[in-house]
Amino acid sequence: MSTTIKIRGLNQYYGKKQALKDVNLTIETGMFGLLGRNGAGKTTLMKVLATLLPKSEGQVSVCGKNIARAQEIRRITGYLPQEFSMYPNMSVYEAMDYLGVLSGLSRPQRKERIPELLKRVNLQYDKRKKVKALSGGMKRRLGIAQAILHDPKVLIVDEPTAGLDPEERVRFRNLLCEIAEERIVILSTHIVGDIEATCENIAVLDAGEIIYTGTVSELTRMAEGRVFQTEISKKELEELKKQCIVTSMLTLGNNVMVRFLAEEKPFAGAKSCEAGVEDAYMYLMQERGGEDVCSYSSL
Amino acid sequence: MERYWQIEKTNLKYHIPLHFLVCVFLLGISPFLMGVENLSAADTAKVLERYVALLGIVMMVPVFLPEQDRAVQELVYAKYTKGAAVYLVRLLGNVLILAAFLGIYIFVLRSNNCEFPVVKYYFGTFAGMLFFGALGLFFYGMTDNLVIGYMASIVYYIMAVGGGNKYLKMFYPFSMSMERYGEKLWLFAGAAVLTAGGMYFRCRRK
Amino acid sequence: MFIQLFIKECRQTAKSLIYWLIVLVLIFDYASQLGSTEIMPEPKKGQKEYGYKQSEDKNIIMKMTLGQLLEEYYRENYSTYPIGFYKNVTLDEKEDERIGEIIEETTGISGRAAAEKAVSDWYAGQERTGGENGGMMIMRNMEAEPAAGLTYERFEELMDEADDILGGGSSYGESCRGGNASVPMTYEDAMEEYRELTVKDHLTGGYARLFSDYMVVFLGILPVFLAVTRGLRDKRAGMQELIYTRRCSSAVIILSRYLAMLVMLVVPVLVISVLPLSHCLKYASAAGIQADAFAYVKYTFGWLLPTIMIVTSVGMVLTELTDTALAVLVQGAWWFVSVFAGVGSLSGGMYGWNLVPRHNTELNWSVYHENFTQLAANRILYAVLAVILAVFTAFIYSQRRKGRYRFTWKGIGRSKKQI
Repeated sequence: MSTTIKIRGLNQYYGKKQALKDVNLTIETGMFGLLGRNGAGKTTLMKVLATLLPKSEGQVSVCGKNIARAQEIRRITGYLPQEFSMYPNMSVYEAMDYLGVLSGLSRPQRKERIPELLKRVNLQYDKRKKVKALSGGMKRRLGIAQAILHDPKVLIVDEPTAGLDPEERVRFRNLLCEIAEERIVILSTHIVGDIEATCENIAVLDAGEIIYTGTVSELTRMAEGRVFQTEISKKELEELKKQCIVTSMLTLGNNVMVRFLAEEKPFAGAKSCEAGVEDAYMYLMQERGGEDVCSYSSL
Repeated sequence: MERYWQIEKTNLKYHIPLHFLVCVFLLGISPFLMGVENLSAADTAKVLERYVALLGIVMMVPVFLPEQDRAVQELVYAKYTKGAAVYLVRLLGNVLILAAFLGIYIFVLRSNNCEFPVVKYYFGTFAGMLFFGALGLFFYGMTDNLVIGYMASIVYYIMAVGGGNKYLKMFYPFSMSMERYGEKLWLFAGAAVLTAGGMYFRCRRK
Repeated sequence: MFIQLFIKECRQTAKSLIYWLIVLVLIFDYASQLGSTEIMPEPKKGQKEYGYKQSEDKNIIMKMTLGQLLEEYYRENYSTYPIGFYKNVTLDEKEDERIGEIIEETTGISGRAAAEKAVSDWYAGQERTGGENGGMMIMRNMEAEPAAGLTYERFEELMDEADDILGGGSSYGESCRGGNASVPMTYEDAMEEYRELTVKDHLTGGYARLFSDYMVVFLGILPVFLAVTRGLRDKRAGMQELIYTRRCSSAVIILSRYLAMLVMLVVPVLVISVLPLSHCLKYASAAGIQADAFAYVKYTFGWLLPTIMIVTSVGMVLTELTDTALAVLVQGAWWFVSVFAGVGSLSGGMYGWNLVPRHNTELNWSVYHENFTQLAANRILYAVLAVILAVFTAFIYSQRRKGRYRFTWKGIGRSKKQI
């Protein structure tokens, strides 16, 4: 059985509103990032894969199994929703045990796996703690542990790093990368840094359409030669903002150090610099909007 | 003042219409279930105390419900207007609606030739209504569980029907049928205390 | 998987506040209504009175019932209690005419003028006899002689029709006719009743029935609170999607929950029943009565469980359908109508299709025995209906899990959440 997710011509409707438009994707083992604005359709796509939404049109198969056969799919997928919690009066261990039973694990299997997983997510000392007493980061880690409890071939994680502090976030990314060594992990996020640090393959969704699919380095390459840096006055900055996409800025006294996107070097003071994923993403989104990246030539 | 009117407007528009309809429905079907014409004072009291007073449960218990979600609750509590003020305005609105329902119903009974002391019966029934509602409100506020609130009111009602005044004593809600009104004062006082208690628990809960 | 889930559900229930509140209410119900029940002693000769019983003399029943009908017909005003509340009924011309025909067929008295005469004759006669007795005047209710050749079957048929015309709950319906003719019991009657209780009912049977009678009133509503709370808990805890995406089938999830709730509700009832049972057994062994130690268990499962089942099912299905506490309102209404409608037939025998069948006495075994099929049909119907609803809940759950079913009733759907 191949560990592949194939999506062909997937359309998804909420009433008259189309949430996904002709999505085609092939996802193989490893981390796969879904990037896009809020409301781009990421959660919808993930819910379809997690059998929480029936697909409206198209073909979707997970490890060779048709998505319509929900019970078989649920056996091989794990899901961590964007917002979730557990029965607040249960202890961490009890909650895991309950979900383990629902996943069809036998008692010996649960006894073996739950402590192992809690250790992996660094909650081994909190197993008696009530769920309501966990911090945001701990809850997320518990979420991951419950999602891989039944050792799924596919793990679907929706915006997992939102609301985590930087330290937790890094730890969480590393955890996901470890997990992805032996299975497909689909990660959705609108935080480019998450993708940059973890994924090799990504897809970018915008208004329900896939506007990019490929490797992260290919995406970065799209912006190569189009990223510039310069130091300008605050007054000039306003002008620059009107014309170009400014991807970052740093105030230095009266002047500002700006990083921006342009098709070619717009003026003498601008220095070309190495493109990052964020630059590339911004470039992509702008192109998609039908606007020129920079119309600075008038200056 | 305008602020409180806005709160009440939101209540009328979003939170209460269905409960309002339930009340209309319950009053509307009553002529098919029981007599509402030519009743003696005792029979009128029975209809009012044992049936109409139940509307108190429908209208008063769910006053805390719109903020049931923790996130919404925090959002509301963080605003300038106190949470308690929001609840009070809403509760007051619902109580006024109850008062109006009762007034209309008593008017209908009266025009249907039922013989009873109108003012006494109005306030007697009103006391029962408030107590039924306040009891549920109190338990809802205390346990943060709407269903427990409903249960408290309903169990109290069943106890009154079954055990009678032997157990409930001065809080016996059906005293009017026996031409006693002293209990009604207790019910008014009890309703006030329970409402205050429910509010206190609710607003303290973070 | 089913058994493990079932055990976990039981544990969760045992940890929930609502469950212990329900247990508390059941204990209170028992203590207040039955806590001080005395076992009925053997009647002794020469007692002042032995209570009343419904006459079985068909002629007396007919006389009393027809007398009342005649009087109400003459006054053009009928008292009924459709759900236990007094309701005054006046009839339209066509209905009035039909009642007139019924009276003519059953008593031979035709028309309102003749009815008036019969009524005034009766009361004039009463006054005369009262006067003869001197001082205290006791008015007896109006009686009317049945027409010659009127069979009891025809009488029943016509009274049922009259009850229908009056919208039910009148003195002429099946459940009230017997009550129109209550007569004082003799020593022999009382002994016969005592013998039935101790021999045929093995003492415990009668008291188990009385126990069921009080318990069923509360069990006609309490389970709905447990079911609604359980149904809303997943959503409130934000756990719905975590459970939805598990491998476990919807039938196993829902039915294990259902079974756990039923077991957890039946257990306290059985535990409470140990008290009256031991009381009965003690008395029985002292009085040399052969008691049935399993009577309370039998009645708990036969009489109470079907009500627990259907009320729990109603709670589950409506909560799963609407994600609100709507079931409390619906079950509350059903309970209200059932309980007040049952008030007219407290002494048993008229079980009909009532959700809370009443039999508010340890006696009256013969009536119970005669109407056992009626009760059994009632209980089986609700048990079957309950299972159907539970299975339907599992179906709804499976659909919601796949995102197929959404309760979007615009506008009302929004405010419905508030219930």
